[in-house]
Amino acid sequence: MELALYSLPFLWQGTLITLAVAALVAVFSLVLGVLLGTLACFGLSPFRWTIRIYCDLIRGIPAVVLIFMVYYGLPVLLSFPINNFLAAVVALTVFTTGQVTEIARGAIQSIHFGQAEAGKAIGLGFWSRMIYVIFPQAVRRFLPPWVNNLTDVVKGSALVSLVGIVDLMLAIQQVIGRVYEPMPLYIVGSILYFLINYGLSSASQRLEGHFAYIRE
Amino acid sequence: MTYHINYNFVWQYFDKFYWGLLLSIELAVISILIGSIIGFGLALIYVDGPRWIRRLIAAYVEFFRNQPLLLLVYLVFYGVPSVGGFKYSPTVSFIITLSVYSSAYLVEIFRSGLDAVPRGLLDAGKAIGLSPWQRLLHVRLPTMLRVTLPALGNQFVSLFKDTSIAFVIAVPELTYAAKWITTNKFRIFEAYSVAAPMYLVACYAMFAIFALLERRFAARR
Amino acid sequence: MTAATASNDPVVRIRGVGKSFGSNRVLNGVDLDITRGEVVTIIGPSGSGKTTLLRCVNALETYDEGSITLDGVEVCYRDANSRRHRKERELSAIRAETGMVFQMFFLFPHLTAAENVMLGLRKVRGKDKAEARAIAERWLTRVGLADKFDSYPAQLSGGQQQRVGIARAVAMEPKVLLLDEITSALDPELVGEVLAVVRQLADDGMTMIVVTHEMAFAREVSDLVVFMDGGRIIVEGRPDEVLQNPSHERLKTFLSRLDSTRTRERAS
Repeated sequence: MELALYSLPFLWQGTLITLAVAALVAVFSLVLGVLLGTLACFGLSPFRWTIRIYCDLIRGIPAVVLIFMVYYGLPVLLSFPINNFLAAVVALTVFTTGQVTEIARGAIQSIHFGQAEAGKAIGLGFWSRMIYVIFPQAVRRFLPPWVNNLTDVVKGSALVSLVGIVDLMLAIQQVIGRVYEPMPLYIVGSILYFLINYGLSSASQRLEGHFAYIRE
Repeated sequence: MTYHINYNFVWQYFDKFYWGLLLSIELAVISILIGSIIGFGLALIYVDGPRWIRRLIAAYVEFFRNQPLLLLVYLVFYGVPSVGGFKYSPTVSFIITLSVYSSAYLVEIFRSGLDAVPRGLLDAGKAIGLSPWQRLLHVRLPTMLRVTLPALGNQFVSLFKDTSIAFVIAVPELTYAAKWITTNKFRIFEAYSVAAPMYLVACYAMFAIFALLERRFAARR
Repeated sequence: MTAATASNDPVVRIRGVGKSFGSNRVLNGVDLDITRGEVVTIIGPSGSGKTTLLRCVNALETYDEGSITLDGVEVCYRDANSRRHRKERELSAIRAETGMVFQMFFLFPHLTAAENVMLGLRKVRGKDKAEARAIAERWLTRVGLADKFDSYPAQLSGGQQQRVGIARAVAMEPKVLLLDEITSALDPELVGEVLAVVRQLADDGMTMIVVTHEMAFAREVSDLVVFMDGGRIIVEGRPDEVLQNPSHERLKTFLSRLDSTRTRERAS
C-alpha cells in the first residue's frame, strides 16, 4: 500500500510522457507517411525511388539503432547537441514513417484506377481527387494496419527510456531503484501498457465500424 | 570542435561486431524456434479446442502482443529471479523472453494458416487411412506453411531486429558491440555506420531466404 | 484561350491525331469533326483505337501527333505547334468541359447518388451545397432515379449506376459528352433503360461521341457513324449508308462477325 502510494505519482508522470511521445510520433508519422505514400503512388520516378529506398532501409534497421544513431550520431555530425526528447521523437518518427508510408501506399493502390479517372473526367485537380475521391475510400484499407502500427508505436516508445527520457518504462526502473521491489512494479507497468494499447485497439474498432458503409 | 571520422577502433574491435552479429542471429533463431513450437502448439489447441481454451489463448496473445519487449526483458531478467530466488545468465533470460514474446505473434500466424487448410483435405487424409499424427505432418503442416510463409518471413525479420535490445541486460550482441565502441572509444558515428548496414544485410538475407522458400512452395502447387 | 463560337464551327475538331503505346501504333492519323448537337458513333473491332480516341478528347490520354481542339482550344498542349504539355490545373479545366461516362461506371462508392453528381458541381464549378443538390436532383430525376438520391452505388443495379454516371457527367453541362461502351458491362435486360436516357439526351440536342457495339442503337440515334480499324478511320457516313449497305470489305466482316457473336450469345 505504501509502495503504491509512493510510486503512483512517478508512474503517472511516466505514463503521460509515454503518451506524449507516442502521440507526437503517431501524428508526425501519419502526416508524413500519407504524404510519402501518395507520392510513392503518383510522384515522379525519382521521388518514387527515393521513397522506396527509404522504406526498404527502415525495414532492415532496428528502432534502437536508429534512436542511438540520431541521439549520439547527429550531434557529432552537426557538432551541436540535440535534446534527447527531440532526438527520440525524430528517430521514432523516421522509423514509423517508413511503415505508415507502406500502409498508405497499399491502401491507395487498392483503389481502382478508374476512380481517379472518374475524378479527372469531372475536372477535379490532383489534390481534390485525393481528398474527395481516393482518401475517403482508402481509409477503410488503411485503418486496420495503421492501428496495429499505433500499438507498435506505444510499445516502441519504451525505447526512449534508453536515452534518458523518463517515460513509463524509465519511471518504473527509477522507482525500482529506490524501493527494490522489481516484480510488483514490472507487473503494474505491463498492465498499464496493456491498458493503453487495449484501449487504442478497442477505440479503433469503433472507428472502423464507422467506415463500414463504403462498399465497392 | 570538428569531428574527424576515424574507423581505426571499429576495425580494431571488429571481432566484437562480427561475434555480435552472430550472437544476434543465434538469439533470433533459437527464440523463434522455441516460439514456433509454443506458437504452433497453442494454435493447434486453439483450432480444435473448447471455448474456454480459446479464450485463454486469445488472452495470452493479446497480453504479450501489447507489451513493450523492453519491459518483458527487464521483467524476466530482474523481476522473475527476485521472486523465485534463482539466477540465470542474461543470454538464457533473453532467449526465454523473446521465445514467449514471439510465440504470441506466431500463434496468430499459425492459427490463420490452419484456418486456411480446407476441411476436405483433412477428410481426404482420413479417407486414405492416415493417423492423426500423419495427417498433421503430411497434410496440415505443409498446406499451412505455404499460406503462412510471407507473414512468417516478415515476423522472423522483425524478431531478429528485436534482438537489438538484448544489450540492456549486457548480452553481447551486435548493438552491444556498437554501444561498447561508443562508450569506450567514443567513435559513435563509425560504430553505428557499421552496425546498421550489418543489420540491414542480415535482414535482407532473411527476406531473400523466405522469398526462395516461397518460390519453392509455389512451384509445387 | 481563344474560343471560336460561330455555331457552325465544330465543337470538337480532330486533325491528324496519332498515338503509340511503345511500338504499338494505336492511332494513325485520325481526322474528325463533331458539330454542335451532333451524335457521332464510333464502331470498330477491339484494339481499333476507338476508346483511345475518346480518351484523348478529354485528355485522359495524350496524343503524340496532330491536334484535338475543343471549341477552338487545344486539349493536351499549350499550343499545337510547340507541343508543350498543359499543366494539371489546365487539364482539369478542360476536362470539366467534357463529360465522360465509363464502361465500368466508376461511381464513387463512398458517396450517395446525389453526392456523386454534386462533387464536380461543388469542387469544380464552385456552386454552393443547396444549388448543387438542386441540380443533382433535377438530373437524377431526368434519368429516372427520383427515388434514389440518397442511395449508395452498392445499393443500385448496374443500369441505375450507369444512369447516375450519366447524370454526373451531364450535370457539369459539358460541351461534348463522351460515352465509352457504356452498356457493355450491363446485363442484357438493363441495357434498354440506359440507352433510353441517351436517346433522350440526343433528342435534347446534346453533342455526343459514342463508342458502342449496339448497332441498332447506333443506327437509330447517330447523325454520323465512323468505322475505325487499325488506328484509322476506314469508313464514315450516315448510319443507313454505313450500317445498312456496308461497301467496305473490313466493315462487312466486322458487322457479320458482330452478328454471329450476338446470335451465339442469344443461343447460349
